[in-house]
Amino acid sequence: MSQDNIIEVQDLVKVYQGEVKALSGINFTVGRSEFFGFLGPNGAGKSTTIKILSTLLKKTTGKVGVAGFDVDHQPKEIRKAIGFAMQEVGLDDLSSGMDFLVMQGLLYNLGRKEARVRADELLELVGLTDVAKRKVGTYSGGMRRRIDLAGALVHRPEILFLDEPTTGLDPQSRLATWDHLNELHSQGTTILLTTQMMEEADHLCQRLAIIDNGLIVAEGTPESLKDEMGDDVVRISVASISESGSQELYDKALSLVGTQSYVTGSSLEGGELVVNVRDGDASAPRLLKLMIEHDIEIARLAVSRPTLDDVFLQHTGRTIRPDNGEGDEYGQAIRPLLGLRRRG
Amino acid sequence: MGAMFREVYFIYRRNLRTWLGVPANVISPLFISALLFVLFGAMFDRTISLGGFGTDDYQAFLVAWVIVQVVVFSGTDSGFSLLMDIMSGYFDKLLLAPINRFSIFFGSLMVSGTRALLQALVVVFLALALGVDFQTGVLGILAMLALAVIFGLVWSCLGIMIALKTRNAQATQTAGLLFFPFIFLTTAFMPEDQLSGWFKVAVKINPVTYVMEAMRAMVLDGWDWPIILTGAWVAGLMLAVLLTATTWMYRRQTA
Repeated sequence: MSQDNIIEVQDLVKVYQGEVKALSGINFTVGRSEFFGFLGPNGAGKSTTIKILSTLLKKTTGKVGVAGFDVDHQPKEIRKAIGFAMQEVGLDDLSSGMDFLVMQGLLYNLGRKEARVRADELLELVGLTDVAKRKVGTYSGGMRRRIDLAGALVHRPEILFLDEPTTGLDPQSRLATWDHLNELHSQGTTILLTTQMMEEADHLCQRLAIIDNGLIVAEGTPESLKDEMGDDVVRISVASISESGSQELYDKALSLVGTQSYVTGSSLEGGELVVNVRDGDASAPRLLKLMIEHDIEIARLAVSRPTLDDVFLQHTGRTIRPDNGEGDEYGQAIRPLLGLRRRG
Repeated sequence: MGAMFREVYFIYRRNLRTWLGVPANVISPLFISALLFVLFGAMFDRTISLGGFGTDDYQAFLVAWVIVQVVVFSGTDSGFSLLMDIMSGYFDKLLLAPINRFSIFFGSLMVSGTRALLQALVVVFLALALGVDFQTGVLGILAMLALAVIFGLVWSCLGIMIALKTRNAQATQTAGLLFFPFIFLTTAFMPEDQLSGWFKVAVKINPVTYVMEAMRAMVLDGWDWPIILTGAWVAGLMLAVLLTATTWMYRRQTA
């Protein structure tokens, strides 16, 4: 294993019982202190991958190294090095937030006193000190993610795994979670997260792998992935009094932009002038100036860049539609039976 | 090894707290034992005149059956507790921790033993309150409780195996129905002398009968060693077999 890579995965294949092929040979590496994202729809193989890396699931074939240890032969060493927040799954609903964290501490070999101190620190960190004594089963969705995250941090892991950390959260809680993750990353924690949300991947991750049907279909920084998608687009509407006058102006504008070296293509589409350029933000003012110099008055100008949605569409032929995390059947069925009502 | 004791203890404490955290878990066995005592005691009170019971106090005759009944059903609780942790994902959280995976198993089993002990203890207190006279005294009560714990573990292993196999809450809970014949095809309400035909044959085949008879001997007759040792031997053998099978299954499912 190379020194810079804290996670190395080679030809990883997972076939579930009943011949369902979840992973068909994936390869990737994650550098030390990198923030790496797995982007893909439900059932793409994201969770399977993260479960194999965290020793919860046995792989079928391939080579997996985490934190310098082999997943087959040194699972216990790996467990000490990683923390895993599992989409609010695995919370102990009947225990208080405090007890849950103390128990996590004890499981990671902290002394009783140490575990208590650490639990206090973590409650403070995720802003749950006020509800420390309340049962976890009564926490709101956002609070559950935070206590889950805190539980994964008791032993100050080198690597943090996060399975869809913000699926189903309201925008405010999502932003708060993002802040926590950025903070942890800035302290040197390597983070590997899975997400169905383009925005999340774009906002957080230094490098991304797009996974679909058990294969990595694209990999790179969010910027490079978007750059591969081609040019930025500037859309221009001209101001004119009459219909025929406007047509004339558009024709004039179209021939004008065709002469510019930074323009890679242009057309009239749906009553707009559409100009393809390498760098939208830098080209827009130049286009604006060009039009004004030739007495064409502009009513509206918009710059757009390819999004990760376009990237995903390009590589998988589909758009991604995140579910809203309502699949918590266990929670919905069992929690009321235990007398646990969720409140904010 | 020391580390494992530590782990087992933490998991035991957490599981016990989880069980005690739901009041219904504690109250319902109490209620059921009281109900069985009072109802069956009243229902069959006059059958004592048929003879062969070894006592003229029908409630004293019932004690052993009520204990067996609560510890057998505590087995479904063990399966259900484990399943709840599997379904909630907490089990995965435990597997993620750098601990021995058998610590989780033994911690759970210890809670099962504690549960059987507490429930049997409740029955003993009820019986004492109802004026049942234990022939073997305090030592006999302790021996009965020990046997109840062993037998509780037997049925907990079954409950855990059903939970691991089905991974289904409903199946695990209704698995208790499978336990019914074992509880009723015994000398539950009548001594063996009063039984006949296929029923008597079934009762003699059912291992539960021997464990119950051992407990009953301690309540009614005193230290009747052949009967008591047979019961202890049957319970011990069942535990050895089921513990091996459950450990094997657990190892396969968590590997």
